[in-house]
Amino acid sequence: MAPIETLPDDELPGLIDTIIRTGEALVEEVEVYITGGDSVSAELKKTKIGVATGSKSIGLGIRTIDHGRIGSSGTSDPAAWRKCLDAAVSSGTLSTIQEWGGLPGPSGKDLPLLSFDPEVRVEAGIAEKAIYEMLKGAAEFPVQVMSGSSDLSTGFLLLANSHDIRNSIKKSQVSVSLEAISDQSTGYEFDQSVTMAVDPEHVGRKAAFFANHGRSGKDIPTGDYSLVLSPMALAQLLGNVFVPAVNGRSVHAGRSKLAKSLGEEVAGSNISIFDDPFRKFGPGSTWWDAEGVPTRRVDIVKDGVLNEFLYDLKTGYRYGKPSTGSALRSGYGGLPGIGYHNLVFDGPRSDIWDELAIYVHDVVGAHTANPMSGDFSVEISNPSWIENGDFGNPIRKAMYAGNVFDLLKQIDGIAKGERVIGSMVLPEVRLTGQRIIGI
Amino acid sequence: MNMIGDIRYFDVRHVKGQTTHVDIDNGVIESAGTSFFSTAVIRVLGPSGWGILTIDNYAAPEGKKFESLLSSAASLAHITTEPVTLADAPHGVLAVPRMKEDPRSVSLEEKTAILGEIESSARLPGIVNTRATYIERAEQVSFTDSSANEYSFEICRSGFNIMAVASREGIVQMGYERLHSIHGLNIRHQQEMGRLAGERALSLIDAKSAAGGTMDAILDPELAGVFAHEAVGHASEGDLVHEGNSVLSGKIGERIGSDLITIVDDPSLHEFGFDPVDAEGVRVGRTKIIDRGIVGSYLHNRETLASVGQGDAGHARAMPGEPPLVRMSNTFIEEGDSALDEMFEGIHSGIILYGSRGGQVDPGRGVFQFNAEYGFIIEDGEQKGMVRDVSLSGEILSTLHSIEMCGKERKMSQGYCGKGGQSVPVSDGAPYIMLRNAVVGGNGTD
Repeated sequence: MAPIETLPDDELPGLIDTIIRTGEALVEEVEVYITGGDSVSAELKKTKIGVATGSKSIGLGIRTIDHGRIGSSGTSDPAAWRKCLDAAVSSGTLSTIQEWGGLPGPSGKDLPLLSFDPEVRVEAGIAEKAIYEMLKGAAEFPVQVMSGSSDLSTGFLLLANSHDIRNSIKKSQVSVSLEAISDQSTGYEFDQSVTMAVDPEHVGRKAAFFANHGRSGKDIPTGDYSLVLSPMALAQLLGNVFVPAVNGRSVHAGRSKLAKSLGEEVAGSNISIFDDPFRKFGPGSTWWDAEGVPTRRVDIVKDGVLNEFLYDLKTGYRYGKPSTGSALRSGYGGLPGIGYHNLVFDGPRSDIWDELAIYVHDVVGAHTANPMSGDFSVEISNPSWIENGDFGNPIRKAMYAGNVFDLLKQIDGIAKGERVIGSMVLPEVRLTGQRIIGI
Repeated sequence: MNMIGDIRYFDVRHVKGQTTHVDIDNGVIESAGTSFFSTAVIRVLGPSGWGILTIDNYAAPEGKKFESLLSSAASLAHITTEPVTLADAPHGVLAVPRMKEDPRSVSLEEKTAILGEIESSARLPGIVNTRATYIERAEQVSFTDSSANEYSFEICRSGFNIMAVASREGIVQMGYERLHSIHGLNIRHQQEMGRLAGERALSLIDAKSAAGGTMDAILDPELAGVFAHEAVGHASEGDLVHEGNSVLSGKIGERIGSDLITIVDDPSLHEFGFDPVDAEGVRVGRTKIIDRGIVGSYLHNRETLASVGQGDAGHARAMPGEPPLVRMSNTFIEEGDSALDEMFEGIHSGIILYGSRGGQVDPGRGVFQFNAEYGFIIEDGEQKGMVRDVSLSGEILSTLHSIEMCGKERKMSQGYCGKGGQSVPVSDGAPYIMLRNAVVGGNGTD
């Protein structure tokens, strides 16, 4: 992409030192977070590229801590750091005093990059090529392509604090997606990777397959059925209900159904759900979290038993728990929150396509699930029978009603293989006795 | 302004501003502060389609530096192949309504204290968590294009959310209220909203799960507004129609519902989705999507008006730093003449549903889903026990036929709508409506 003016990279370390020195005259501790990057994308409108976009992002976040009062501010203009620092200090004076044991110091390790591939080049021509590969895949079925996109991005994070942490990390991300239709049957598929290892042709083919396959679907009666949830569908249900329920802050604040379930069976006895921050080319892989705490594997659910919750420093200090290295920032503004780096769902694998079931490619409306109770009722995208190990007759329309917490105990099979969905690494799972509302 | 090379059109939309938030969780002020942003989108129309640059920390350069940005965008446009044309549309900017009390004139300390009153009023016996958040976003928007159109305006949106969580014997339920506005600070004297959230959470503990199936349903104005937004609004967006991703494509002039139903999108209304001008500088106004049961108009930007037609431009909207998309703003079902009592009388076995946690639609397939916070069973016209976590699903082309009654009084509710990775402020509304044979999702058994 052509040059766009922002602060030259080599000026950032000096700027960070200045902010920290200036801040330390006002408060006990200062943390500086700078994030930025470049991206390029190409967007399909039907079978033609209608839009090509290039982006240049930059943001500075400052957190201050003084006698247990935490303040924060952010700005997209690093040169305006003084205004940002003053806003952070002033913000801290309003916050409630909390138990605080200090920001961490350096971990002393110089480790390889986990979430970056230097082969990822942010060039429009590469995005363009992926678009045509997707179209080639989609052309294998008699469908119309509606839209699609191809994105490449690289970025950096710099984290520094009063205790001499000067961490930096690079990230890369490649993604492609396509949406197709045939009559009133739609199909969506995507792929993402930290490296160039996406398969655009496969994405085009899969989206077109689902659009084509869903034509002439038949209604089914309301009742209880066996289901196979795709990683995409599983990600939506876990992300909207399970993930907030294991967030240490929700747990201690009384917002989690799992708050009192440590040591109890919350999933099938062979199922493990853990955060693996060290996964090679994991989208969220990192050696330290958003406040500089060294990351570690967090076994949230181990062999079906709820084993531990996720903590950042603030929640940890407040409730007397060590940080699990689970602080994340969604952008440069505000305070870090609690989250996962790469959430992995695992268990003994088997062939789950052998028996009759309804395949759930994706769900519509998972964000309306009740995060407290876990109850949801969603519309299924591309519902289809699975028969004899393959896709059988399509189903026209079906609603799926259930409870995410119950569902984790009703899994009776986990497929071989897995997929990266956002920062989750998930397999297909099979469930029995699930309520489907048909006609 | 000089055009460079093969640039047919360009525009620049620069948004600067600040976001202030307060988060109070169980009486603890977790955070209260302000962040700042400045971001721009430069769009260039090349020989075929768009080349777009999005730039944080935009310095609004002039002369050669600006021309170099245009060249960068133009070079991106070279990979496009879709022949894009822009329809002419009237320009002009409406006045932003004067705020009764500018939130920026009130200290963060005072706002935090007021929010704390709302938060503590939700803390009723049996409530295990209360959380209140305040959000205020002031934007200074300036726009210029290659046709010498220029405008600038400032708008400030603010409001609060209050959530209460009740817990008993392993059952956890929440009550949630929110109020957001373009008319100035709205958190004073709102403790009642906190109490409502608390009471709702407590009563939901004893509510049953709904039994899924097909039944008659009455939707309250908030939920009926979400219904209009999901069931019809998205499918009328010109970009989706253009892509073939809408069952309303080719349906202009066709009847898809009873003549009781008129659905409108109007960004000029002084509601939460108000825009004084759209993101392409086009004058905003009222578009009748459904006119007495007949598909009337699509929502458009200049590009989709040219490619699809049969509707109005002025519906391009964007988050700061993001390219404009065709979006809804203030979407509502017009009033009818039925009383709520009449709706109840007409139902032998059904459900009345209140509130919403949102919804989603697959516009090409023509299937939508949306969710109610709670409801009550109706038996022989009488309201019975409370139910929780009820979703409805339906099909765009048939669902409006099932609306048998529309109430007399419309109410708007505020929210945010997501599309293409962008979230924009919207309002939805309706009077009470009654649907025959709605598909209700629930996993209850009775």
